[in-house]
Amino acid sequence: MAVSTPILGIAVVIYMMVVFYLGWLGYKQTKDTDDYMLAGRKINPLVLALSYGAAFISTSAIIGFGGYAGAFGMGVLWLVFMNIFVGIFIAFVLFGSRTRRMGVNLGAVTFPELVGRRFQSRFIQGFSGALITIFMPLYAGSVLIGGARFMETALNIEYNSAVLILAVIVAAYVITGGLIAVMYTDALQGGLMFIGMAILFVLTYARLGGVVEAHQSLTNMAHLVPENLAAIGHTGWTSMPAFGSPVWWTLFSTIILGVGIGVLAQPQLAVRFMTVRNTRSLNRAVLSGGPFILMMAGVAYIVGALSNVYFLDTRGMISLEAAGGNIDVIMPEYINSAMPDYFVIFFLLTLLAAAMSTLSSQFHTMGTAIGHDFYREFIMRGKIGKTITITRAGIATTILISVVLAYILPIGIIARATAIFFGLCAAAFLPMYTGALFWKRMNRQGATASLLVGTFASLFWLTFVHAKEATALGISQALFGVDTILTGTWTVVDPILVATPLAFLTAIIVSLATEPDSQEHLEKCYSRKNSE
Amino acid sequence: MLGIEDPKIWIAYILCFLSAIGCIIYGVLNWNKGQDEEVC
Repeated sequence: MAVSTPILGIAVVIYMMVVFYLGWLGYKQTKDTDDYMLAGRKINPLVLALSYGAAFISTSAIIGFGGYAGAFGMGVLWLVFMNIFVGIFIAFVLFGSRTRRMGVNLGAVTFPELVGRRFQSRFIQGFSGALITIFMPLYAGSVLIGGARFMETALNIEYNSAVLILAVIVAAYVITGGLIAVMYTDALQGGLMFIGMAILFVLTYARLGGVVEAHQSLTNMAHLVPENLAAIGHTGWTSMPAFGSPVWWTLFSTIILGVGIGVLAQPQLAVRFMTVRNTRSLNRAVLSGGPFILMMAGVAYIVGALSNVYFLDTRGMISLEAAGGNIDVIMPEYINSAMPDYFVIFFLLTLLAAAMSTLSSQFHTMGTAIGHDFYREFIMRGKIGKTITITRAGIATTILISVVLAYILPIGIIARATAIFFGLCAAAFLPMYTGALFWKRMNRQGATASLLVGTFASLFWLTFVHAKEATALGISQALFGVDTILTGTWTVVDPILVATPLAFLTAIIVSLATEPDSQEHLEKCYSRKNSE
Repeated sequence: MLGIEDPKIWIAYILCFLSAIGCIIYGVLNWNKGQDEEVC
């Protein structure tokens, strides 16, 4: 690395001091449960947009998916469009306003509590909380690994200590300051990320001679696609993979649909809609949310793909080769060699900010899921009074689990963790959450059935059919002696394409076959009159 | 278009920017809407 460690060290220390100051502000402002869980339901729209975006986009989105674009090209830009159109516009305008209103009407402070109360079911709340508690640490563990690897290489801290330091720092402000601290620090981190990515965008096009020139050079490289990648459908960096090929299925089902639609049902993001005062704040947040995602995901993928042109010019090889065959090394390798030193420092901070903002929202959501939804409401039937204390204990517990996972899980599983979590959320939560907000006829039986069908269909597909996870988990191999129980195209079709429609269908059929919820309860859920 | 031959890619490229601009326009047009009907 070309950057001097002392300068980077100073930058990191200053950044950490600001983060702690914001954490302290959150602690000072937290007086009751609504403050701790929902930042008092009065968050500023810009803070909401930045915090939503920063929690959404983690280091792995920039490094991992940027690297994916470097290896497989610009087809992944469809994900950016989905992220903006579905992840911001549909999410804020359609889901956000209804979530916020129903959250107020039902006095819900977490995502599981919102659906639990809408369907008058402690089981739904407890089961959703348990699902988050069990599977989100996998996702958090992978973000933790990304952040710790950064600290290891940039600050010369040993990896195991880096995991611990990072976890303790984030834990400190999440546990004490609650969601106010999480959202303030997220907003700061989001601001840093926005500036970092904007500079990267401009410098990359400038370095490669302009927008059209850079794209044209990349288009002209199509003949350089390695044979083994061409064989599975790679046709070049500015064209879509061959229709129906393994690369196409992964791009279309796992990445574009899985992540693009799965985002709607992410508990740590959905809960943010309940943090604002009114629909006006959500409308205003759309303004900054769209450009923010464009600057994060859009720039990472465009730059990732264009890194091929840079490496061909300077080293006569494609990015994947320059990165030694490791997709995750493409972005760091490109930034280290193509960008000026001062920017490398800034970008490393950007990455640290991206990791910390995602981690903090995960820790908060896991803590409320285990402390509030699972333990207090489901196990204790709401009998214990001190929600904040229990949630703090819950956060500490889930952080511990994430740290342990970061130490012990094999690389192969960790790399799949984000996709597993997104897919599971889409199948388990999306039909239930959509029905809760938009379909009054959907009842408790329909919601419970869809939650169970979505969860288990998704887990079954991951364990026994979808090759990437099934092979890494090894359960199918141990039970049946084969990596996957189905063969051919099925093994590259993401669980989201199978489990989510199945869960939607279950929700509709079971709801229609059983009695509707009482009119009185529905009026309470959907009331527009609730005012203070 | 933009040095990219495959329309399935340049359409995605343009849509990314258009959707972000769309978000800005929506935010501006609705800047003051949604306040009166629902006060928390």
